[in-house]
Amino acid sequence: MIEARKLSKRYGETLAVDDLSFEVETGQVTGFLGPNGSGKSTTMRMIVGLDMPTSGAITVGGQTYGALRFPLHEVGALLDANAAHPGRRARNHLLWLADSNKIPRTRVDEVLGIVGLTEAAHRRAGELSLGMGQRLGIAAALLGDPGTLILDEPINGLDPEGILWVRHLLRSLAAEGRTVLVSSHLMTEMALTADQLIIIGQGRLLSSGPVADFIERSAGHHVKVVTPDADALVVLLRDKGATVTVDGPQDLSVQGLESRDVGILASGAGLTLYELSTQRASLEDAFMELTHEHAEYHGTTQSLEASRT
Amino acid sequence: MTQVVVPKAALRSTDDRLPEVFLAACRSEWTKLRTVRSTMWALVFTVISTIGLGVLLTALAVGHWDHRSLSEITGFDPLLYSYAGLNLAQLSIGVLGVLIMTSEYATGVIRLTFGATPQRRLLLGAKALTFSVVIAVVSLISCVAVFFICQALLASKHAGVSIADPGVLRAVVGGAVHMVLIGVIAVGVGAIVRHTAGAVAILFAVLLIIPGLVQLLPAPWNNDITLYLPNSAGAAMSAVVRFPNLLAPTAGFLVLLAYAAATIGAAMVLLVRRDA
Repeated sequence: MIEARKLSKRYGETLAVDDLSFEVETGQVTGFLGPNGSGKSTTMRMIVGLDMPTSGAITVGGQTYGALRFPLHEVGALLDANAAHPGRRARNHLLWLADSNKIPRTRVDEVLGIVGLTEAAHRRAGELSLGMGQRLGIAAALLGDPGTLILDEPINGLDPEGILWVRHLLRSLAAEGRTVLVSSHLMTEMALTADQLIIIGQGRLLSSGPVADFIERSAGHHVKVVTPDADALVVLLRDKGATVTVDGPQDLSVQGLESRDVGILASGAGLTLYELSTQRASLEDAFMELTHEHAEYHGTTQSLEASRT
Repeated sequence: MTQVVVPKAALRSTDDRLPEVFLAACRSEWTKLRTVRSTMWALVFTVISTIGLGVLLTALAVGHWDHRSLSEITGFDPLLYSYAGLNLAQLSIGVLGVLIMTSEYATGVIRLTFGATPQRRLLLGAKALTFSVVIAVVSLISCVAVFFICQALLASKHAGVSIADPGVLRAVVGGAVHMVLIGVIAVGVGAIVRHTAGAVAILFAVLLIIPGLVQLLPAPWNNDITLYLPNSAGAAMSAVVRFPNLLAPTAGFLVLLAYAAATIGAAMVLLVRRDA
């Protein structure tokens, strides 16, 4: 289990992490989400003792990382996939890591097999593709067979097959009872991979809890209705206390009633329905809504549109 | 490729006392050193400059033997030309020592290193020790080799010395110790500065530029300060004849050792204090 308590990190004027508290549970994949520059990487660096918190504490299994000896047996981390000497061969890169924590050298070939780099073991790290470098970084994280894994944007640079592979890997690691914390700025990816979410913006905690709860709570949903009798149905629906938005002459969107209730209401009044369906807002939309005001950089399309007219 | 098997093998070592952590770090650093090409090239350059330059200058001196000035005759140290190459060798050793730290910062490997061994002071100690052993072996072999070749050349002029003569063995070993301590200083400078160009510039300034500048100071100061510069202190260890511009061998050793200890000490303080 990873536990952050009132964690803060200040770099000069910037407060990168601001009074952040959360817990990462064992046996689950926890997605760590936030826009670029929201403090995800800083928090992860503090977990593995690279950056010192300005205040507060972050522990793995109740211990601060700096107190661990041969920590690769407890915690495996992928923080920067490019972190390898470009002139050193892939296998040798894992070899020095293994030596530093008294991990048997046979394990090096084992993890090369797990990540599918056996063929590339003797290539120099600088000659590996982006995706292969990412796999090498994941191999390094798995080296000590750790109970806790911390992966910063592990799918960056991977092809669709690689993304699927990482998803399966994370799920099976969690199924084995390990703690898996994985950061991403892609909500949709996390919805497919994670059980739990921790969402931060500008270093502050915005939301945490099960993925399903997040979807339910912040995305909400509405019922789409297409009917030739729109005017009559609107009156009925509003009588039942539903919020109705008229999207077109025949199109309604209904909030506050389930599609089942809308159907019963319509048939009771003898109204015809062409379409009746529950619409869930996209996760990406929900995530954007939650983090919008906390995003560090906002792009704009306004000037482009203006110049077009 | 999509196989997902994470064996639950018992990989954990039971003994995790600090000496074990240190030994593992040394082994890991040795693996790092021998798996990049720059190590080999720097060491080859070190051997070639130590032996090549020593033999070349000694051969020139032997060829020029009958035209020597009085000061050349009276101030002749049988090892002076032999060990001229150390002036060049210290530069390749210095660059390699700096790179041991700075290449890790440049490539981001330092985060893996600190992640694997969070005991940062101990880790720097392991880096410095491992590098010292490598330099000791390489320097000792080349110092012994250049000694015997050069003395064989000088023997034709009956000016050679034997390894058994007073102070000679000490001077041969002293040459190697000089190189080891320069290497340790370089590792420390690399850890303090963290950028290759900056660290190399500082190291070269100390070894090459500052001695020249100090000579420009007014009379008693220039020679007094020069005695205690790293270069002169190191050279004192490999001199057989006692020169007025050099410390006694033991004093030279202690001065250079103090430089190395101070640099590593400062680096240890900074490594623990700074974020990686």
